[in-house]
Formats: sequence, C-alpha cells, structure tokens
Amino acid sequence: MNEGLYLQGMTLLDFARGPALRWAVVIFVIGVVWRLTALLLASRKPLEPAKGSATAGGVKTLLTRSAPAHELEKNIVFQHYSGYAWHISMFIVLLFFAPHMLFFKDILGFGWPTLPNLFIDFFTVVTIGILLVLLARRLMNPVLRQISTMDDYISWIIAFLPFLSGIMSFKHITFGMSYETVLGLHILSICLLLVWFPFGKLMHALFIWPSRYKVGAAFARRGVRA
Amino acid sequence: MSATMIDYGTLGERAAAGVKPKALSDEQKIARAKEAFIAGMDADMATYLESCIHCGMCAEACHFYLATQDAKYTPIYKLEPLKKVYRRELAPTRWLNRLTTRDITVADLEQWQELAYDSCTQCGRCSLLCPMGIHIQSMIQVVRNGLAAAGLAPAELQAVSDEQRDKASILGAGPDKLREIVERVRAKGIDVPLDKDKAEVLVLSSALDFLKDEGVLAATANIMNKLGASWTIRSDGFESANFGALAGDKQAQKRISKRVIDAAIAAGAKKVIVAECGHAYPVLRWEAATLYGKELPFEFLSVAEYLGQELKAGRLKLKKAGNGSAHVTFHDPCKIGRMGGSFDESRDVLKALGVKLTEMESHGRTNLCCGGGGGVAMLKSAQTLRRKAFELKREEVDRTGAPTVVTACNTCMQNLEMGKAWLNWDKNVVNLVQLVSDNLA
Repeated sequence: MNEGLYLQGMTLLDFARGPALRWAVVIFVIGVVWRLTALLLASRKPLEPAKGSATAGGVKTLLTRSAPAHELEKNIVFQHYSGYAWHISMFIVLLFFAPHMLFFKDILGFGWPTLPNLFIDFFTVVTIGILLVLLARRLMNPVLRQISTMDDYISWIIAFLPFLSGIMSFKHITFGMSYETVLGLHILSICLLLVWFPFGKLMHALFIWPSRYKVGAAFARRGVRA
Repeated sequence: MSATMIDYGTLGERAAAGVKPKALSDEQKIARAKEAFIAGMDADMATYLESCIHCGMCAEACHFYLATQDAKYTPIYKLEPLKKVYRRELAPTRWLNRLTTRDITVADLEQWQELAYDSCTQCGRCSLLCPMGIHIQSMIQVVRNGLAAAGLAPAELQAVSDEQRDKASILGAGPDKLREIVERVRAKGIDVPLDKDKAEVLVLSSALDFLKDEGVLAATANIMNKLGASWTIRSDGFESANFGALAGDKQAQKRISKRVIDAAIAAGAKKVIVAECGHAYPVLRWEAATLYGKELPFEFLSVAEYLGQELKAGRLKLKKAGNGSAHVTFHDPCKIGRMGGSFDESRDVLKALGVKLTEMESHGRTNLCCGGGGGVAMLKSAQTLRRKAFELKREEVDRTGAPTVVTACNTCMQNLEMGKAWLNWDKNVVNLVQLVSDNLA
C-alpha cells in the first residue's frame, strides 16, 4: 500500500498504536543503551589495599539503600514513603490493569492475573495525588526549589500525562472528543514518555543501580557499610 | 585532661595575612576551574551526577543544614558549579543541557567558596542517605580542586598549604619544632628514637598536636616504648596533616604525602602510624598510593587501629581506667570512621579499659560530625556556622549522660574543647592515645 494513502486513512488511535509507538520504542531503546554505555568509561583503579570487597559492598548497597539507617531516615520519612507509595502504585496500574495486561500479552504472548477496576481507580488516584503534592513541594520547599531544573518540570509533566489521559479514557471523561481519540492521546503520552526517557531524569530508573553500586563499592573498599 | 586550647582560626588568619591573591583574570579563573573540574571527574562521578533526581534528601543528613535549616547548605547544591560544567561540557546530552544550563561565572565560583569550604567538613554522611547512592563527599573535593586552581581557596588554607608544600612546616612548626618537642618529651624521662636509620614502625606526629604542647607525642612515645616496638619518628617525614588536601591543591597534596612515603621507605618501615588527625588518615590510607602512582611496601594505620591490633595480639595490656573516665561516650571522627573504616578498634580499647561506654544516637557509620573537620576549624568565616552545627553534637552527647567524651582526632578534640568554652559545657574531653598512655598495665 502507498504510505501516503495509508497515513490518510488513519485515525489518531491508529497512528498512536502504530508508527508512533514503534518509533518511540526505537528511540527509547537506542537512547537508553547510548546513555548507559556513555558511562561505561574505565573507572580509575585505586592502588591502596582494600579493607573489604568492593563488589560485595556494591551489591549490598544496591539492595539495602532502599531502607536507610534510622538516624538518617527519621528526617526523610515523608519523602521516603511517598516515594514508595508512588512507585508501587505506578507499577500496579501499569501491570495489573486488565487492558494494560492485554497490551503486554499481545507483545509477550503470555498474560497474568489482573486487579479489579476499583483497585486500579484507587492506585491511579494515589499516583496523581502524590505527583501533585510532590510538585507543590518542589515549588514551595526552598531546598527543592533551588536544586530544581527544567528537566524536573518537564519530566513531571511527562510522567503525569499518562495518568491523566489514562483516567480520562478509563472514565470516559472525553471533553467532547471520541473515546478512540482519548485512547490515542493516552498511547501518545506513553510514546512521549518513551522518547523523553533517555534524555531526562526518568533515566534514574536505570542509573539508580550503577550509582548505588558505586557508592557501596567505594565505602566497602574502606571497610564501611554504605 | 586540661588541654591548652589553640585557636586555629586566629593562627590561620595570621598565616592568611601573608598570602598575595593570584593575579588571574576572570576568564583565567573560569578556565582553570573548569580544567580542574573536568580532570577530577571520573566515570563514577558522572554516574552520580546523572542519577541525581533533585529530591533534596541529602540536606537531612548534613549537620550544617540541620542546624540552620538554610537551603543553601543542601549537600548536592554545594556541587552546583561542578554539576553545571559536567552538564555543559561532558554529559552525553550536553547539546540539550546547554539550552537549559547557564555557564559558570566568577561570581558563582566566589559564592561557592563558602559552600565548598566553610560549610562542608567532607564528613560523608550525605553519601549514606542519598536514595540514588550519590557519593557527594567525593565530589566536594573536586569542587575544592577547581576553586583552588582558580585561586579561590580560602586564604587560610592556601597559605598553610603553600607553607607545608614548600617548607614542610605548618603554621611555622616544622622539623626544628619537632626536635624541640622531642627534647621536651625526653626531659620527662620518655625515650623518643628520633631519626633512626631503620625501624619497623614509623610514627607520625603533627604540628597541630605539638603547637599545643608535647602531650600527645609523649603519650604516643610512652605507648610505643611499652610495646617494645622497633619504632622511629623522622624529621624528614613526620607530619600527618596535609593542607594540600584541605585547600584542594592537588599538586601540593601529592608532594606533601610523598614526604611521608619517602621517609617510610627510607626507614624500611612496615607500618606507618598516622597521628590522631582526622583528614590525615584517609588522605594517606586511601589516596596517597594512587597519587604516588605505585603500591606501597608498608601499611598506613591510624593510632586507634594500631592500638586495636596490638590489643588483639595481646601485646597491649591495659589497667582498668579510674581517673574520672569511668563512664564515657565515643565520638567517631568522621574521617577515621565513615571515611576511613575504623570503628571497632577504638571501642575494643575502651572495652579493655573497662569503662562504661554509652553510644550516642548517631554513632559509627552514621555519626554526626563535630563541625570542625575538612579544614573548617581553620576558617574564621565559618565560626558562627560551626557553633550552630556543634549544638547538634552537644545534644547527642548530653543525651548519653556520660561526663566524658573520648575521641581519636586532633581536630574533633579541638572542636569539642572550643565547644566547651562556647557553651560553658562541663564535659571532659579525652583523646584515646592519652587515655591508653595513662592506663598502661
């Protein structure tokens, strides 16, 4: 078929789940691989004898940093638990909403049990609520305001849109648009997220692992549990 | 112990008065700072900077932020000039970052002097809290390297760094002062094998100790003699402290630590005992060989580590301590503990002394800094801030109910003594080496 004709006959939804999603995935994969390999430069090798295994310490910190020591944690209780609540809710919505599971099943060839919609409603509201609170905090807290960059706000919008468009299509809050269009917008918001992912702070989802490993290794070499 | 206090701030100020500012244009300052930032940046640091999510949690680990609640003391913010240069010059997304990240200016660099020196003791506590695992402490040193290269290290630290690099003395105390101090220790009937050709153990001292009095050297010598060790102290390499490292002058740091390495090799030493001087230990134990470019034929030990080893080996025998030190708390010097990896040795010694040890809430790896490390104690400009941060330490000490604070670092010791004077605080402050020397069995 002629490509021009193909595009002409396409709805927004067709575009979103067709070429847009395909190219978004391509950019995502290439971008992520590029960002990660750019950091695989040779680390400088220290010449002092170590007090402990850097590798073991690195792996340990990678796992244990999710729960800092009490003396350090007592001041960050809010950030700590809102972070947990957000990420857990986000993954629940992403993986255990029936249509999402079916989307992945299409690609992977296997499915898994999903959660009743009532739960999905709840976790979607939690994610949106936390995102709004965290944005307000970023705008008002002097510590956060001074270290915030454009990336923080762009990434916030890009993380927020899939939830907004998701709840709109799920609840049929369409503002006069057809359901298909809203669903198309939802998928496009995911495309946008995939395209932006390698270039902004969303990369923290991957950088967290080498970063934690490295700090754990640096301290373990000195005989300290980080 | 009645310690004569020395005010490093005043001494530092006196030293700084002689420093001529480097005649650098603004462009040169920026170029030199950038060059040092880029040279100091490695793959680990790039990973750290890439992973920062700007959550600000590190603030909650920093004694300077906790004491003031002033946002500018957020640890990651103290790296801002380095972060900017990384984002614009090195990051894979630099073409994108240049649109959103402004280049550094001389005003930035000048403003960051306070943030990289006065308000950071490089204690490393923030590196333990960051959810992303960013080693902020390691990068503060690169910021200092850049500022020093631009001629923007605090005059006090730069002056002493230059002095130590060129004359092997600190605040006027060099080899001659050491000889004088050794004579004073000998006059007390304690033998000091100065400048022996060969010895198993090379003991380091520090001007920061003997500017005060000969007490610490006398205590150390007393212990070494009692242990029957083959030891020496050498006038060509006795200084533990390294003001090159504190000022951020990397070349000076290298030259200063090489003096100790050369002396140890000349003496054929197997062990080098670093005096109770906070930063000296990690600078020698964890950085010197790499700067020197070769693995070393001896090991560096802090006094506490050495005492712990000798105790374990059964060579160090102690009486149960009586002299008012029956109930103590131990202040972990950040550089020996969190940044050095020695926690247990000091506690083993305290246990052998039979004292009751009550730990502070933050102890061991999460210890709260006293506020004086990293050269901060020398900076007159940092004094108010240092006092505020010290309040946190005082509160934790007070809650233990112990009348005595034991520590194993000269700077912590001085800072605790200063704190006593500031706050009319009725605590005894004792250093470990003195406590051991007083209670040898």
